[in-house]
Amino acid sequence: MSNNTFSGGVVIANPYPVNQVEIVQAPLPSKVVLPLQQRIGAEAKPCVSVGDRVLTGQIIAKTEDQFCVPIHASISGTVTAIDKQIIPHKSGLKSNCISIESDGQDEWIETQGCGHDFLHCDRQTMIDYVQRSGIVGLGGAGFPSHTKLSKATDCHTLIINGTECEPGVMCDDALMQHHPREVVRGVEILLHITGAKKAIIAIEDDKQEAYQSLLMFSHNDRISLVQLPTKYTSGAEKLLIKALLNIEIPSGGFAADKGVLCQNVSSTKAIYDAVIDQRPLVSRIVTITGDALTPINAEVRLGTSFEQVIGLTKVNSQAHDYRMGGMMMGVDVETTQVPICKITNCIFVNNKKPVQATKECIRCNSCNTVCPIGLLPQQLYWHAKGKNIDKCMDYHLLDCIECACCSYVCPSHIDLVSYFSFAKALSKKQETDQHKTDIARERFEFREYRLERNKQERAKMMAEKKQALKEKMAKDKQADSAQKDKIAQAMARVKKTKEDNA
Amino acid sequence: MIESVVIFSSLTLILGLILGYAAIRFKIKGNPLVDQIDAILPQTQCGQCDFPGCRPYAEALAKGEAQINQCPPGGQEGVDALAELLDLEVLTLNEEHGETKPDHVVYVDEKLCIGCTLCIQACPVDAFVGASKVMTTVIQDECTGCDLCIPVCPVDCIYVREITPTLSTFVPNIPGEVRV
Repeated sequence: MSNNTFSGGVVIANPYPVNQVEIVQAPLPSKVVLPLQQRIGAEAKPCVSVGDRVLTGQIIAKTEDQFCVPIHASISGTVTAIDKQIIPHKSGLKSNCISIESDGQDEWIETQGCGHDFLHCDRQTMIDYVQRSGIVGLGGAGFPSHTKLSKATDCHTLIINGTECEPGVMCDDALMQHHPREVVRGVEILLHITGAKKAIIAIEDDKQEAYQSLLMFSHNDRISLVQLPTKYTSGAEKLLIKALLNIEIPSGGFAADKGVLCQNVSSTKAIYDAVIDQRPLVSRIVTITGDALTPINAEVRLGTSFEQVIGLTKVNSQAHDYRMGGMMMGVDVETTQVPICKITNCIFVNNKKPVQATKECIRCNSCNTVCPIGLLPQQLYWHAKGKNIDKCMDYHLLDCIECACCSYVCPSHIDLVSYFSFAKALSKKQETDQHKTDIARERFEFREYRLERNKQERAKMMAEKKQALKEKMAKDKQADSAQKDKIAQAMARVKKTKEDNA
Repeated sequence: MIESVVIFSSLTLILGLILGYAAIRFKIKGNPLVDQIDAILPQTQCGQCDFPGCRPYAEALAKGEAQINQCPPGGQEGVDALAELLDLEVLTLNEEHGETKPDHVVYVDEKLCIGCTLCIQACPVDAFVGASKVMTTVIQDECTGCDLCIPVCPVDCIYVREITPTLSTFVPNIPGEVRV
C-alpha cells in the first residue's frame, strides 16, 4: 500500500472553496438554548432553576454518569426556561433544554487552571480539568475526551486529527491557521497526560496554509506533522491509525488497546483552554457553507440558534435546505430554530433541489469498492431492507461508520447509509425489547412459583394445626378417662367405707 | 456364515444398548417446543388469549389446543412467526381476543390511590410496589402493559401512558417506507 493512505474512500474537492480562511467573531447571542441530552450517556440534571442568574462558564447541569461532562452556561444572564425544544437530530424530536436570556455583559465565572507551568500537575488532576470543562470530541462524534484520556494508560503514540476530511468543512483548517500556538501547546499537554513518546499531527494535503502555520510553531522533537493525501474518510479514527502507523484496530476494539490515542485538533485546543485556564468549552468554530451563501467560519457561543449564525453571512432569498455536519455524514434539519451544539462543526445552506429518484440496485459493485472498512454494502442493503438483522450482523453491520461513501457513488441514487442506520437502530431496539421480555418472563415465572409456594406453605401449616388439635383432643380424652377412673375409685372407696360401717 | 451372523448380532446388541442408554441419559425434560413458542410470545402476561399467561398459552399451542391468532400484543408479526415455527397456515389476528395496542405502560395517580392492594394482586409480573392503606406505584421498567390492573382499581386511578421514542430509542425510517 502506498504511503499514509488506506483502501476505499472517495476523493471529493471542497465544493464551495474560499480564497482566505478567516474566523468571524460572532456577536453575543441574545438567547441560548442548551440541550441536556448529549451524544453519549444519560441526560444531565439541571442544577439551576428558572429565574436564576448564571455567569458564563457556570455549570448548569450535570450527571453522575462517569462518561458524561457537565453542561456550562455559554453566556451570562437569566435562566428563562427548562423545557422541551427541538434539537438538531435526525429524529426531529424534542429534548429537554435550558434556555438562557443574555444580559449582554458576558460576565465570566472565576476559574483557576494549572497555568502555563502545567508540568507539575499530575495526570488525574488534568483529566479532571478536562472533564469539568465539558470537553468532548469536536470532530462530530462527541465522545467525551476525559474518558479517552483515562483509558489511555499505556499509550505510545498520540494522533492529533486535523485531517478534516468532510468536503466543505473548514473549521479545523481555520483553527490551525489562526491558533497554531494553542494547538501545539495542547498537544504538549496531551503528551504530558498520556505519557506518549511521540505525537503526530495529521493534516490533509489540501490544507497547505494550516500545515505551514503549525510548522512555524512546532519546535518540539516529539511532535511531527504528517500530510495525508486528500481523501474522504481519512479522518475516521481507525482508518487514520491504519494510514499513519499501519496498525489495524480489530472490530469491536479500541485504539487505546493498541496504545494509540486519537484527539481532534479542535478538542486539543479546547483541552489547552481547559488545563491552562480551566476555561470551560462555551464556544466553537462553525463553518457556514453551501450554494446559497458566501462560506465563512465563525466562532459562536454554544446554544446560539442556526438562524442567527446563518445571518452572519450573505444568503440569497430562495428556499433552502439545511444540514448540520458535513455533506456526507451530516443530518438534515427542518428548521433553523435549533441550537449550535458541541458537535455542530458545519451548517450547510443549500438551495432547494428536487430529490433524485431512486432506482433499483443493479449490483454494480461500486459501493463494495469504496467502502473504507471493507464491508459489503450491497449485501447489507438487501438484508437491511428485508429487516433481517441477524444476517446484517453476519456482515458486520456494527463496523459500519456510516460515512456514506456507498450512497455517494451509487449510480441508482440509493441512500444506502440510511438503511444501515435504520438497521443499527432496529437491532438496538430488538435487543432492549428482548431484554424486557426476558425480565417479564422471569418475573411471571417467579410469581407463579411464589403463589404455588404460598399455597403449599399454607396447606402445610393447616395440616400441622390439624395434627396438633388432634393430639390435644386425644390427650384431653386420656385425661378425661383418668379423671373418671379416679372418681370411680373414690366412689368405690366411699361405697366400701359405707358397707364397712354398716 | 455363522461368523457374520454372530458379528452382526453382537454389533446390533452393543449399539442398541448404547442407544438405549443415551436415550435415558440425555432425555430432554419437558417439551422443547413450548420454550420455542414461549420465546416468540411477547410476555405481556395479559391473558387476552384466554390462558392465564404466555407460558400456559405456549403449552396449549404445543398440544394443539389453541389457535395461533389469539395474542393481540404480539400482533400480526407474532402470528406470522408462530405460523412459521409450527408450520401452520398464517391466520389473521382474531379480533375476539382484542386489538393490538401501541406499546404502553400504566402509572398510578398517587393522589387518588387508597391503598386497596387489588392492583398488586392483579399484576402478573409483580410490577407494583405498595401495601395495605399506603400509596401504591408502578415500576415503569417492569410494567408489560397488560392492563389487568385497570379494571380492578376501585377508584380508577390507574392510567395508560404510551411509550414515545426518545433520542436514544428512535428508529429512523427506511427510505421510501412510511411507518404508522
